[in-house]
Amino acid sequence: MLSRKYTLLIAVLLLIMIGLAPVISMFIQSLFVDGSLSLNNYEMLFQSKRQWLLLLNSLILSISTAIITVLLGIPLGTIFAKTDLPLKKPLSILFIIPLIIPPYILSIAWFYCLGRDGYIARIFGKSIGNLTSSFLFGFSGTLFVMVSTLLPVVMVLTMTYLRMINPRLEEAAKLSARWSFVLRRISIPIIKPGIFLAGLIVFILSIGEFGVPSSLRFDVFPVESFIQFSAFYNFNAATAAAIPIGLITLIVLIVERLFLREKTFQFKLTKEPIMIIPLGKAKFFFFAIISLLAFIIVIVPIGVLLLKSFSPWAYNEAFTQSRDSIMRSLLYASMGATSLVIFGFLLGYLLERKALRFSYAADSIAIFLFALPGTVIGIGLISLWNTQATNIIYASSAIILLGYIAKYTALGERIMAVSLSHIPCSMEESAQIVGAGWFRRLFFILIPLSKRGLISAWLVGFIFCLKDLDITMMVYPPAHDTLPVRIFTLMANSPERVIASLCIIMVIITLLPLGLLTMVKDI
Amino acid sequence: MRFRPFLILIVTMVAIYSCTRQVKNEVVVYVSTDQVFSEPVLRDFEKETGIMVKAVYDTEETKSTGAMNRLIAERNNPQADVYWANEPIRAVVLKQKGISTPYFSQNAEGIPSLFKDSQGYWTGFSARARVFVVSSEDAPSSILDYMKEKWKDKAVIANPLFGTTTSFFSVLFTLWGDEKSKEFMKKMKENGVKISTSNGESTTLVVNKEFAFSLVDSDDSTNAIRDGKAVRQIYPDQEEGGIGCLILPNAVVLIKGGPNPENGKRLIDYLLSPETERKLAFADSAQIPLHRGIETPPDVKKIEEIKAMRIDYEDVAKKLQQIQPYIKEWTGE
Repeated sequence: MLSRKYTLLIAVLLLIMIGLAPVISMFIQSLFVDGSLSLNNYEMLFQSKRQWLLLLNSLILSISTAIITVLLGIPLGTIFAKTDLPLKKPLSILFIIPLIIPPYILSIAWFYCLGRDGYIARIFGKSIGNLTSSFLFGFSGTLFVMVSTLLPVVMVLTMTYLRMINPRLEEAAKLSARWSFVLRRISIPIIKPGIFLAGLIVFILSIGEFGVPSSLRFDVFPVESFIQFSAFYNFNAATAAAIPIGLITLIVLIVERLFLREKTFQFKLTKEPIMIIPLGKAKFFFFAIISLLAFIIVIVPIGVLLLKSFSPWAYNEAFTQSRDSIMRSLLYASMGATSLVIFGFLLGYLLERKALRFSYAADSIAIFLFALPGTVIGIGLISLWNTQATNIIYASSAIILLGYIAKYTALGERIMAVSLSHIPCSMEESAQIVGAGWFRRLFFILIPLSKRGLISAWLVGFIFCLKDLDITMMVYPPAHDTLPVRIFTLMANSPERVIASLCIIMVIITLLPLGLLTMVKDI
Repeated sequence: MRFRPFLILIVTMVAIYSCTRQVKNEVVVYVSTDQVFSEPVLRDFEKETGIMVKAVYDTEETKSTGAMNRLIAERNNPQADVYWANEPIRAVVLKQKGISTPYFSQNAEGIPSLFKDSQGYWTGFSARARVFVVSSEDAPSSILDYMKEKWKDKAVIANPLFGTTTSFFSVLFTLWGDEKSKEFMKKMKENGVKISTSNGESTTLVVNKEFAFSLVDSDDSTNAIRDGKAVRQIYPDQEEGGIGCLILPNAVVLIKGGPNPENGKRLIDYLLSPETERKLAFADSAQIPLHRGIETPPDVKKIEEIKAMRIDYEDVAKKLQQIQPYIKEWTGE
């Protein structure tokens, strides 16, 4: 029991040291103005009506994005996971692409398409161009880009959890009910924790998003923190301006916990294959609808980027100049994803099994860090690790890894918690009774039985580490940039075709490992 | 014996650490000038001197918080030797925060005193001008056109909280005084001026005919023109009695306590040389050399051909800090 306790304690302490300590140090500094204790940074926060309006805008945007992605993502994930839809694997990978591209680039691609002089205007005329432009700039366009970017989060998690359901439950229900009833009353309710997790991730990612709303001229609250960082260089006020978003996230977390408190979940314990829903004659109808959706939210923006990058010279130049950045991105993202799986597994276990008294506290810390702007964590990491004594960490790529762990542990933790919930405690207890220690139970029961969750956590971690910009931008050692950093630093005044080529290369290098892994195992 | 693996691990880590602490022939530079223009210059420096350049490049201010925030956050244990800023205001901020240290380069001698700090905390080179990029047939000729009914809802400007647009408004407040400048900004707003995230985005919006014109940096407009886009470039307020056009040089700064100060000074000398100014004039950055008599391509004006605003960058930086709360309020209205 002690080894389990100590392993989990070490994981929590490491999370506190790596993630929370930098933020606490920033928070403490934000309580001081000119060397004396003061709440001035916080008092300034909601002094004008505009700040309340910005907060309201952020809430409306993030809630709308979460609701729409959940409403679209559940049926999409269900169709890909449980039906015999033709070409469902390539189609599901296609839907993941917008998540890989930095959202700001996606909004530029849409601008080239829907702007007043965009492709639509050139094809259908100026008046249509004016209409599409007014749709794009403002709330509607921002919501559209955010939904298309974050839809894969809900879709992938729905797929993952639906495949974990005990097929016997569905078989029993199928004896007296149609598939639509089984899905509504059995399958979807069983995966509610997964759906809430997906909604929570989408909510957090959209409430903290700044790039897309600012380029599409919809003002949101994160701009307050950003302005303090980038215009005023006032780190303390910037930290204070980031805290409300973290607090809102914690409130949403409490609501989620209250809602799911009494729920129990039944996942499959056997190796029986999952039940597949035959679509019959409706197969082609569903195929047409999904293809249309894929065309609108994936093919169009990617097509625009391809059109813009249509030159072998551009690809050659983009690849030659960025080869090292590509290799570093892959390396750092792989290392980051592996670290996130390890932390995610241990903290997910802690949350699911309530193995220590403060399991919810550890979860709250991870979620809070996930909700905070990367810049706050980045500057916190600098102030904590940039000393002569710790230069070995700060001046190496290890600092990037620490940033990934600080920011994204919540993803691995929550995915693993839901995944571990399908392994009954009785299995562990039986092994313990016959004398198996914690590490034996870990390596011979828990890890093998949660393989699918581990792979999902790794893939999600890989995508998020690979596309990370905020933290990497703040802490990467000189001459160690990653591809997203390079794309952003090259954006100013580089030819459009080179930037578009780099985005396409980014999509390819992300999809390659995903494709290889999906070939190895059906996930 | 039980501790042998730990001992080996500690010895290995100490060895790795010692290797990383060995003096290397390198220089660390943080760069806010667009990477596409600055990277080739730094590569040339590497080739010519054999000193390895380790660079951290910045994004446009409104895309991410980059080099300046790093420099400020790292002040207690600086990692950079040199900061290459894309305008002098940031360099003045570093001076005020005690992050930079004076260095007088011999190569700065030919640069007019207007474009360098008298105490040697920063030195300007290769400037850009604030110009109009225009896509309409008719063209504005003065920044006052932003207030005119003729251009209602047809003009855009980058967010004045960031970058060179901040500098531009600070200059106006310095030259005109607070009252006149606030009146100008108020009328701009009433005339339906839209705010974009950056000068690059303003140019894209004008190129794509979302707007008729925008005040941008000359490298943005020159690039669009050289890329074959249907826009042209206008130097504002060049007529007799006009206030002239804002000239913003790059500025190079030596960081106090940087790890390789001597190599840092060599890099600064290199950047301030007439040859680097010539390269930046002929590159797509189309920057205006500050040394006199340097050859430029036909579409890059010489500094003596431009009617420039007469300003003190130190005063502008001070004014900037005073007016930022007002500008923040203005952008949010």
